[in-house]
Amino acid sequence: MFGSFIKKSRAKSPWIMHFDCGSCNGCDIEVLACLTPMYDVERFGIINVGNPKHADVLLVTGTVNYRNMKVLKNIYDQMPEPKAVIAIGACGNTGGVFREAYNVVGGIDKVIPVDVYVPGCPAKPEAIIDGVVAGLAKFAEKVEAAE
Amino acid sequence: MSNLLLLLILLPVAAALVCYFVRSSAVRKLTVVATGAILTLASLALLGQGAFEPVMVGSFLGISSDFLVTVLDFALLGVIFFYGLKHRNLLIQGFSLVQAALLVWFELFMIDHSAVPALMGDELSIIMVLIISIIGSLICIFAIPYMDEHEEHLHLKKSRQPRFFFFLVLFLGAMNGLVLANNIMWLYFFFEVTTLCSFMLIGHDATEVATKNSVRALWMNSLGGVAFVIGMMLVYAKTGSLSITDILAAGPQGALMVTGVGFLCLAGFTKAAQVPFQSWLLGAMVAPTPVSALLHSSTMVKAGVYVVLRFAPAYAGTLLSDGVAICGAFTFVACAALAIGQSNGKKILAYSTVSNLGLIICCAGINTPLAITAAVMLIIFHAISKSLLFLCVGTIEQSIGSRDIEDMRGLYAKYPRTALLTIIGILTMLLPPFGVLMGKWMAIEAASSNIWVIVMLAMGSALTVVYWARWGGSLMASRDADAPAERQPALISMPLMTLCASAVVLSFASPWIYNYMLAPMFKSAPFAMNLGVLSGSMGSYAVAPLFIALGLGVLFAAKAAAGFRKVKIAAPYVAGANTPDDMDGTYIGPMNGPVPFTAANMYLGELFAEGKLTPIFNALAIALIVLMLGGAL
Amino acid sequence: MDTLLLIILGLVAGPVLGGLIAGLDRRVTAWFQSRQGPPIMQAFYDVAKLLGKEKMVVNQWQILCAWVYMIAAAISVALFFAQGDLLLIFFVQAVGAVFLVMGAMAAKSPYSQVGAQRELMQILAYEPVLILVFVGFYLVTGSFSIEAVWQLDQPLLAKMPLLYLALGYALTIKLRKSPFDFSTSHHGHQELVKGVLTEYSGPYLALVEIAHWYETVLVLGLCSLFWTTNPLWMAVLLIGTYMLEILVDNTMARMTWRWMLKRVWLLGMGMSVVNLIWLYAG
Repeated sequence: MFGSFIKKSRAKSPWIMHFDCGSCNGCDIEVLACLTPMYDVERFGIINVGNPKHADVLLVTGTVNYRNMKVLKNIYDQMPEPKAVIAIGACGNTGGVFREAYNVVGGIDKVIPVDVYVPGCPAKPEAIIDGVVAGLAKFAEKVEAAE
Repeated sequence: MSNLLLLLILLPVAAALVCYFVRSSAVRKLTVVATGAILTLASLALLGQGAFEPVMVGSFLGISSDFLVTVLDFALLGVIFFYGLKHRNLLIQGFSLVQAALLVWFELFMIDHSAVPALMGDELSIIMVLIISIIGSLICIFAIPYMDEHEEHLHLKKSRQPRFFFFLVLFLGAMNGLVLANNIMWLYFFFEVTTLCSFMLIGHDATEVATKNSVRALWMNSLGGVAFVIGMMLVYAKTGSLSITDILAAGPQGALMVTGVGFLCLAGFTKAAQVPFQSWLLGAMVAPTPVSALLHSSTMVKAGVYVVLRFAPAYAGTLLSDGVAICGAFTFVACAALAIGQSNGKKILAYSTVSNLGLIICCAGINTPLAITAAVMLIIFHAISKSLLFLCVGTIEQSIGSRDIEDMRGLYAKYPRTALLTIIGILTMLLPPFGVLMGKWMAIEAASSNIWVIVMLAMGSALTVVYWARWGGSLMASRDADAPAERQPALISMPLMTLCASAVVLSFASPWIYNYMLAPMFKSAPFAMNLGVLSGSMGSYAVAPLFIALGLGVLFAAKAAAGFRKVKIAAPYVAGANTPDDMDGTYIGPMNGPVPFTAANMYLGELFAEGKLTPIFNALAIALIVLMLGGAL
Repeated sequence: MDTLLLIILGLVAGPVLGGLIAGLDRRVTAWFQSRQGPPIMQAFYDVAKLLGKEKMVVNQWQILCAWVYMIAAAISVALFFAQGDLLLIFFVQAVGAVFLVMGAMAAKSPYSQVGAQRELMQILAYEPVLILVFVGFYLVTGSFSIEAVWQLDQPLLAKMPLLYLALGYALTIKLRKSPFDFSTSHHGHQELVKGVLTEYSGPYLALVEIAHWYETVLVLGLCSLFWTTNPLWMAVLLIGTYMLEILVDNTMARMTWRWMLKRVWLLGMGMSVVNLIWLYAG
């Protein structure tokens, strides 16, 4: 009984951490816009926490370059299970227009496993929220699979 | 009965002589251990006997013991004067001459030399004897391996341990004599013996710093001696009796007598290193750790508060009483503030000691049964916890070569047992359900009727949390599973473990200690004890239930923590820049190089630096003491 | 027997009430900010989710300290419900506060360390004020025991208004609201990432959160003792105070520890001393 309450709560209290891997900040601004009264993701229980140890969902923007891929991996490892990763924006999904630059790794899934891809340049807040909700569904799946 | 008392006083003297004159280290060690054991048993026997009326002490080889004490008194003053000459210190010379002159006047023209019962033992004296004999013996036993290591560290060719143990063990006898004395001249004599022992032991290492500090201690304590003699004379002038029990039974008797008691309290203040006299105790920290533990936290300085507490009935209800309470509370808050600015471990302990002594003196000044109970509880539990902490710091200093708490960061990783004992020691000084906090609780409740005192106690109490919690927290660290076990000599770990266990067990037993030893002291006891719960008219403290609840909680928490090896260990969060494979907070910094983790406590130098605060506090304290004595008149 | 029932009531009611208050807090804050805000049960979802996360620590002392913090907070609330001695309750609560600081200092993280030092400054600020408030209780009722407060026929607020304002400082610090939220801030806000709580995660963070609920219930309980004669007015007082806290949180900026120490010691203790002098004189 308590176990099922915990399972239910995972979907009702997803704490996100946002990390910028070399983004132009366009997607970042849209992510932060989600927290404003206009879109108000806190009504879903989402809080923007600052460190990976408190986070369930990692929102990543940017193309990932050779310098910050180490940081990205480190942060992902410091998140306790169960966790989900959402790649936001064209740059995060595949590297976007910068894919062939010399320092660009080209997409977040080349460093850590990604659960949801949110396209757009920049991605709209509605799309981001949509992505987080889809991520929560995958979350629940992952937990079921683990048990 | 008097044989037991004389054993407690004279056995250490004999043992000290053996330690000095027999130059075999094995004999010396055996003597110290045996003396400790016998003193412990004797003090427990005294406890079993219970409180007793004053007894006479007969003559030795035909010479009256009173006469003997007087002769030794003048001899002692001569020795102090000699050292005043040797170190060219006018204050020491002056004070010892003044004491001698006043004593001559007192002896020849004032006293009527009738027989006075020399020794007594009420509940307070017996408690003090137990503290001195048991804790003192444990510290002397600790000193045996400690001094060997100390002298090896200093590369001494000729051991100075005979001299060290002579004064250390002699001191135990002097303290026992002090707390058992009923004849005020005997109390004065033993008071001065402790001054001499302290001077000798502070200067033991014979370095320039040690000598300077020992001289300072000597002149300040000699000033206390002068105050004691003046007080003694003024009190005698009114009461006509040298017997302390008679003086106390009479109560306050007019302005001159109360002023005399005020001077006795001033002597207690200097002995207990109250502000403005705290600098001698701070300076005494240069001495080897057993000296700091024995003299300067658990026993000698307790002689100072003992004097103030013993004479409490003689100034109950007077303005002097309020003055004593305010001076004590001021020291409590001033030294707590000074401790915040310190990072030297022994100095933190020293300031904390002075602060707690101030609290005890404050309780003596408040002079209600609740306050006196608080004072005695604080004496007992502070002695245990503080000596434990000093011995731990001594052990740590010998292990890591530093006494700065910043160097003790993460000590648990290398020395888990010492670190754990230190952490427990700190917790017993700070938190419920342990005895020191119970004493502080009683003190705050007792002080609620005096607004100045209670404000100072509230501030001081908050300040103490800061300097203890940060020290305790910094010792905690993670330990590798395959780290080598810590090894300690048996004679070091035995005293440490005994003191730690006593702190915990006696705290649990405190309601029964109260019931058996303290409640009989009062006509109307402040608390009723029922199943380990102390309930009084102002509030109740459920010692045993709280102990059990918190104890079970901590045990549960420790069990949960011990399952740690199955928990995932992560590196600390440093914005993702941890160096790979490092779990200790090293991160990749400028030029891609690793930056190691460093931390330091906030010492709040802008507010709490020793140099800034000390002159202000000294000035205020002098003003308060002058007010206190003037108020008595 | 009664005492036992009250203790159990305290142990159970503490987290339930605390969680509901936390949820309401976020809802009302959202209303202030023209948002909708999370459901009222959100705090319970948060804690349940945390309990279900993987156990991860930096070192074992954190586990010990998180548990002791929660147990001490729970015992202090149990004692409060059992009408115990106010000073004792305060010192038991202090056990928890000290262990929180020590647990944070055990971790080799810069955020944790600085957060712990700042937490000590916060303790330094509110402790004397709370002790003086309890002395005020004693001066009015003649005892430090909570039972004595229920015997009064006039609300304490009438005799101790300034002490209530000083208690407000302690409440703001304990609730971790601006302007005093620099050691760690409450949900949705960050300071030094998460200050003292940075290195706690998963179940241990849940324990710390539950302990925080207990502490909230304790301090609000203290506020409620200021109007014991009429339950309706007690409710008005509590709701009014909490709304004021949320208002202050939303309008004030986070300040520094120096500002806090100066303010709370000068103003808070000043007001307390003045009120105590009134009580002594009266």
